[in-house]
Amino acid sequence: MSRINDVGGMVGFPPIVEEPDEPAFHADWEAHVVALNAAMIRRGVYNLDEFRDAIERIPPDQYLAASYYEKWLRAITTLLGEKGVATPGELAGA
Amino acid sequence: MPDRPDRFAPGDRVRTRIPDPPGHTRLPRYARGARGVIVSTAGHHPLADERARGLPSDPRAVHHVRFAARDLFGEGDHAVVVELWEDYLEPDPAGHPEPTEERNSR
Amino acid sequence: MSTTHDDAPLAAQVRHLEALLEERGWLAPGEIDERLDAFAAGGSPANGAAVVARAWVDPYFRARLLADGNAAIGELGFSMGGALQEQKLIVVANDADEHHVVVCTLCSCYPIALLGPSPSWYKSEAYRSRVVRDPRGVLRELGLELPASTRITVWDASAESRYLVLPRRPEGTDDLTEQELAALVTRKGLIGTAAV
Repeated sequence: MSRINDVGGMVGFPPIVEEPDEPAFHADWEAHVVALNAAMIRRGVYNLDEFRDAIERIPPDQYLAASYYEKWLRAITTLLGEKGVATPGELAGA
Repeated sequence: MPDRPDRFAPGDRVRTRIPDPPGHTRLPRYARGARGVIVSTAGHHPLADERARGLPSDPRAVHHVRFAARDLFGEGDHAVVVELWEDYLEPDPAGHPEPTEERNSR
Repeated sequence: MSTTHDDAPLAAQVRHLEALLEERGWLAPGEIDERLDAFAAGGSPANGAAVVARAWVDPYFRARLLADGNAAIGELGFSMGGALQEQKLIVVANDADEHHVVVCTLCSCYPIALLGPSPSWYKSEAYRSRVVRDPRGVLRELGLELPASTRITVWDASAESRYLVLPRRPEGTDDLTEQELAALVTRKGLIGTAAV
């Protein structure tokens, strides 16, 4: 059951777009997502491969529509719920 | 050092397995069931498939496997080197005869 | 990808998670800020350029770099440690006959500890899907036209190693200092999508 992340050799994606003088992050929250993920992994809440797995489990249409760090944020939120750190309602801020 | 001896060495001809696992794996779809040659060993690591399931996993060899593009896609004059855990590989004694593919490009 | 849409809800969600995790004791106060400071002081393409320039001027360093990337970059004060465990660095050298280019088709693996975050195009499905299948066409699209006689090897970072391309030293640079040489090296050159 190949997942949507496994795109090597596929055809049909748009041309490659380069962004001149691209910054490391486009917004502060992106850097925060990276820092948050590193903190959770170092704390042993989940490991790096569980994190990759959680990204790959994003439904294909949403995977392709989301920005890179948006996928990270979704995966972190999924794992925090699955690992019992907080309930889905608490994670959503409900 | 790893507990288990390496199953393959540089120069060995291998064929990748054809698994289609339900979860995380590092054998890309385009490289499944393909014939290649081991060019070097990339160290020993627990299998990512098992770590992604939260399972314990012993370190085992990871190899750089060189494929001719035509063996992956049926066309192309380039080569692709994929870094593959030995779990994904099986011996291929009937592999390609071209000695050029044995060259370690590093 | 979709970097133009309104991302205020995402920023709010991140703030919410940080507050929640700190309140529950999963994050230490100030822990995120410390990590952000570490990023700012961490990887950058300039590090890779310095490694390349040293390899161009010092053939012994070049040999050590190709044999053991981690040890060699350590000589220049760099490491592949980053936030998590140290990763193996593999350096592949271009020459007159062969050109190397790096991709991660499954996700976005990249030598972040040395070079900082990768560019968006490197992480795009467009690049990841096509460069393994048609590297010559992708390189042309990115501005690098290779002679037909140049063999191309694509490295898919599908496991634990991270890859750095050592470009060929441009002609006519004999008089340049190491620092001037480093200024010639681009991030694309370190990935293999530019000549230098």
